[in-house]
Amino acid sequence: MIKRSSTSPPNLSRRGVLALGAAVGAGALAGLSPRPAAAVVKLDVTQGNVQPLPIALPDFIGSGLPDPGLGRSVTQIIASNLQRSGLFAPIDQAAYIERISNFDTAPRFPDWRQINAQALVTGRLARQQDGRLWAQFHLWDVFAGQRLDGQQYFTPPDNWRRIAHIISDAIYERLTGEKGYFDSRIVFIDESGPKDRRVKRLALMDQDGANVRYLTRGDDLVLTPRFSPSTQDITYMSYSQGLPRVFLLNIETGQREIVGNFPGMTFAPRFSPDGQRVVMSLQQAGNSNLFVMDLRSKATTRLTDTAAIDTSPSYAPDGARICFESDRGGRQQIYVMGANGGAPQRISFGDGTYSTPVWSPRGDYIAFTKQYQGRFAIGIMKPDGSGERILTEGFHNEGPTFSPNGRVIMFFRDPGSNSGPQLYTVDVTGRNEQRIPTPSYASDPAWSPLLP
Amino acid sequence: MNGAGREGMRTSLTISALVHAAVLAWSVLAFVAKPYRAESTESMPVDIISVSDFSKMTLGARNGARTEKPNPLAEKVAERRPTDDPTAKVVETKETKSSTDTPAPEPKPKPPANAEKKPPEPKRDLIAEALKKDDAKKPEPKKTEAKTPTPPKKPVQQQPQFDPRKVEALLDKRDPQRLAATGDALRDTVSLGASNGTAAQLSQSELDALRARLAQLWNPPAGASNPEELVVQVRIKLSPDGRLAAPPMVLTSGTSPLFQAARDSAVRAVFRGQPFDMLKPEHYEQWKDVEITFDPRDLVRG
Repeated sequence: MIKRSSTSPPNLSRRGVLALGAAVGAGALAGLSPRPAAAVVKLDVTQGNVQPLPIALPDFIGSGLPDPGLGRSVTQIIASNLQRSGLFAPIDQAAYIERISNFDTAPRFPDWRQINAQALVTGRLARQQDGRLWAQFHLWDVFAGQRLDGQQYFTPPDNWRRIAHIISDAIYERLTGEKGYFDSRIVFIDESGPKDRRVKRLALMDQDGANVRYLTRGDDLVLTPRFSPSTQDITYMSYSQGLPRVFLLNIETGQREIVGNFPGMTFAPRFSPDGQRVVMSLQQAGNSNLFVMDLRSKATTRLTDTAAIDTSPSYAPDGARICFESDRGGRQQIYVMGANGGAPQRISFGDGTYSTPVWSPRGDYIAFTKQYQGRFAIGIMKPDGSGERILTEGFHNEGPTFSPNGRVIMFFRDPGSNSGPQLYTVDVTGRNEQRIPTPSYASDPAWSPLLP
Repeated sequence: MNGAGREGMRTSLTISALVHAAVLAWSVLAFVAKPYRAESTESMPVDIISVSDFSKMTLGARNGARTEKPNPLAEKVAERRPTDDPTAKVVETKETKSSTDTPAPEPKPKPPANAEKKPPEPKRDLIAEALKKDDAKKPEPKKTEAKTPTPPKKPVQQQPQFDPRKVEALLDKRDPQRLAATGDALRDTVSLGASNGTAAQLSQSELDALRARLAQLWNPPAGASNPEELVVQVRIKLSPDGRLAAPPMVLTSGTSPLFQAARDSAVRAVFRGQPFDMLKPEHYEQWKDVEITFDPRDLVRG
């Protein structure tokens, strides 16, 4: 007889089975998820109402100031900055109910809620023993009844305009979440005189149009100034006796040096983000190619070598790529290429010709001038070429430049006929086009970074 | 089957039965209470009634209060307006004939293209009107036709066939109003204009009205490059009068300046929305604790 040996079943007694079953049951019951305590209503709000923020700006309190109107002047600069940005709606002072007389106490919020102010700025300017100006401000959230921000600054009294711009930047940043752009300057070409004999001078002003000063005398033709993104240097082109030269000018020191004699240059070079190199286009025998030059060593490196016209290059904020304009495809289009050369990639594909590309300091847009059927437009697109949007259109808009926070673009518009070009700004969403007042006609603006 | 199998069978049968029972017990007892989620759907009130009820309802409305209607733009006061009494049909027919002459010459010297004020009508009447041949409306189309600079054609012949009021009634796409008050009468809260451009809609519930109020007051930072950072969750506790019982709790956290601005805008919208009077006191237990998610990703185009 064959003995079948089979594996014996696990030796479980009845008690063991019951214990196992109880354990399984207990484990299952323990695995029950606990019930939540009470029902909370959940709501999704996905629509909003984007509006300029109503903000109240009572005059800054002045104490011991030689000029009693300084508080009011500072407040007015802040109010006009915020209003010009298009994101704020300063409330007329005539509507205010409470008079701010003590900077150190909290305001009476119900009074400000009644005039529908959502934010409130109070400030004080005082003169120190050593003659310096002590500026303080508080930014209040009226409806929440809290202080959002507050800063104080010590500065020579002449700098009071800069203090107003710095305070405007702080308010802008706290309420919008983006970096401000008010403490910056614009360099541009100031044009005066009759149309056939314009005198062009290099000029520098605050971004709100104040403090204009001239950097050249007007003897030579000057063109296309550019600001360095990290230092207080400007490059510009000057034609002296018909010979184009590129100058490097330091604004703080006034020191001027010649970058080089470039016989075939039409645009001034643009700085790299670290301020150490410039990229430019040089013309030779009918075609134009891109070169990079190190400012210290003056060594130049060729970036493109084609029979087409490659010009108007601009660095990306990370310094790794450049965008430029080229007609290698027939008409002028925008291309993106590595900063050390390589194969360029075309990113503009619409109708018309694209020129003067500029990369935003935020890195998210490239602005350009587009010509189509005799009309000029300023537009933006993403660096991969998608999302092209026209911001403004008209006869002869040209030369876009970005503000330091990448939200506002300045350009110049020449209406033709007997008048001259003027400077305009527009928001990157296409709204809020404003004219910037200049003493005379102005063209070729370049926006500085935020002042250090 | 040998004997070892029999003992084993009983053991495994017992184990199997116990485990099955445990699983069944667990599945029966383990339920998860989901939090009450208010979806932002757009719904329409639908009432199902019989035809006779409908006729009774509409009939009742016509004889009932002739309330003031929101007046359309009236650039001039209409001179003659026959009474809108649809029940007196026979009488109206005679009036129609007699009034043929008078309104026709009158509009001629007047400049044309004035927005003629249509007789105010209850919205509810449009359907009833479509059902009844309403002769009282005949002078109105006559006036509209007389408006044109061309010599007013005698529209009397056209009246029986062409009644613009009926066409308008058929084209009108307004929601049927509820006339019979049900147990929980709806409050007629109109939501204010939303930035997505849809026309003002009747809110179907208190939560929709609350959402509409917050959407109207919420001013999110625009033009941001990373919209994901801007989602803010706020939890509020309300007191029975609709005001905040405690400062709002912000549940999401973040450090970037953009998040701070987004959080402030959400909290500000909640503060500004007080008092939330669209929430009814009898439902206080349901709405005393609200968690709101402010999500601007649809709005922000970076």
